[in-house]
Amino acid sequence: MRNDVAVVGVGHTTYGKRGELAERGTFALATEAIAAACADAGIAPRDVDGYSGFADEAIQPAALATAFGAPRLRYAGMVWGGGGGGVVGALVNASMAIVTGHADYVVVHRALCMEGESGRFGQQMLHTAASGRLAPAAAFSASYGLFTPAQVFGLATRRHMHLYGTTIDHFAEVAINARLMAATNPHARFRDPITMRDHHDSRLIADPMRLLDCCMESDGAAAVVLTSAQRARDLRRPAVLLRAAVMGSPYRYGSLGAPESDYASSGQRQVGEDLFRQADVRPDEIDAAMIYDHFTPMVLMALEDYGFCAKGEAGPFVAEGNLRIGGSLPTNTHGGHLAESYIHGMTHIIEAVHQLRGTARNQVAQANLVAVCGAGGVSPTSGCILERAR
Amino acid sequence: MDRIPALAMPMLGRPAANALTDGYWAAARDRRLVVQECSDCGAHRHPPTAVCYRCGSRRWGWGEVSGGGSVFTYVWIDSPMHESLAAIVPYNVCVIELDGTQGDPVRLVSNVIGVDRDTLRIGLPVQVGFAAVDNGALMLPVFRLLDTV
Repeated sequence: MRNDVAVVGVGHTTYGKRGELAERGTFALATEAIAAACADAGIAPRDVDGYSGFADEAIQPAALATAFGAPRLRYAGMVWGGGGGGVVGALVNASMAIVTGHADYVVVHRALCMEGESGRFGQQMLHTAASGRLAPAAAFSASYGLFTPAQVFGLATRRHMHLYGTTIDHFAEVAINARLMAATNPHARFRDPITMRDHHDSRLIADPMRLLDCCMESDGAAAVVLTSAQRARDLRRPAVLLRAAVMGSPYRYGSLGAPESDYASSGQRQVGEDLFRQADVRPDEIDAAMIYDHFTPMVLMALEDYGFCAKGEAGPFVAEGNLRIGGSLPTNTHGGHLAESYIHGMTHIIEAVHQLRGTARNQVAQANLVAVCGAGGVSPTSGCILERAR
Repeated sequence: MDRIPALAMPMLGRPAANALTDGYWAAARDRRLVVQECSDCGAHRHPPTAVCYRCGSRRWGWGEVSGGGSVFTYVWIDSPMHESLAAIVPYNVCVIELDGTQGDPVRLVSNVIGVDRDTLRIGLPVQVGFAAVDNGALMLPVFRLLDTV
């Protein structure tokens, strides 16, 4: 499968705060992003014969194929579970469909109106609890006031601080870096720089996490088009090849019974090991990383799980400036979820494509290999390495 | 074991009846803390599931534990996610690792009662108690620091 499949088109709508685009609706946003990605690739939306979803995507492939007048729909697949952890898993499924001849052009998309149709992504458990009836499994956590991702991930984060001496200064560097990157991105929602003091002064959400450790729910849509590397040669843009893409999680990850070392992690160790083995490259050969930054500590733990630094050393690694332009691993060069928008990892794939085409606003010189890491803290998660075509 | 008369946590819902979990709540009403115990290999597990992760057995019973354990990790929730929680923030949610279990560590989500932000730390020993909800129709296992029991 190595380099047999390419990302050939990327597209997105404008991004807004939660609820800002609600009147347009997710279906209209999805079709706009998909049409933009197809135009970027130089194909018509009706040429798309496969859709690969994640995070329980509500917009049905059949509805999209019908709307675009596609002569045929040949593939409709979904990553099972894991929310935003499945974003790159959707590329895994798309690539399997393409190399096995089940589809020629596969779209991966995400469209969100966070107030209304798609609801607030992190609050399903709270809404269920407030209805008065706790599902049997949820009763063991919701009864104690534990509802949201920030709270749940705060538990793993606290453990990481205890074991390795990670500090809120280290969290802050992830947020500061995101704002610096977003300063050059006209699509970004948060372009003003922040300081360490701004971070520390932001209100506590779930101690140890503060407001500026959390990404902001966003409305918008983003899409990418994949096809075979062979077909990609005849398309409009330089192909960006999928060198390797994997999904998974380690033993019992996401449960209370996870082994201690993986409990204080983002659950991406298995994916990291499989990814670099499949790609046959080393972490230090990666030129830039796009890491799902729903919460700053999850970025730190992802750096460790993917082997960009040793276990427990992500704090010092980011404090040395390694995430910044000019650092050893420029990260989230578009501003990420913390500063650009929160479209569940899709924007990270788009930015990796820009880096490898040489069209990024914060371009990394001679970027040949870029890693995209799906959401940590969930199971399954997923990751890929994209490569510039030679 | 200790009975805690008033519960600070305003529960938003009540556990739905379920064949796998009813025994847990029934034991708590008797102020006993139980976890699932594999009838074949003896491994303990929580929350309840239909199958033993270690040996694959589907035969299980309830194993009573001492209720002693330690704070594995915790979070202080400062921003209430529901209006009913506004009066009690900040409150802690802890993961407690139980003593005396077989197999992989058994951990529970709970609250440690009667502790402030300067006192709660990972590794502190705790002991279970039971907080009455709905006049005792539901008894919720919670924990207190061992030196305050």
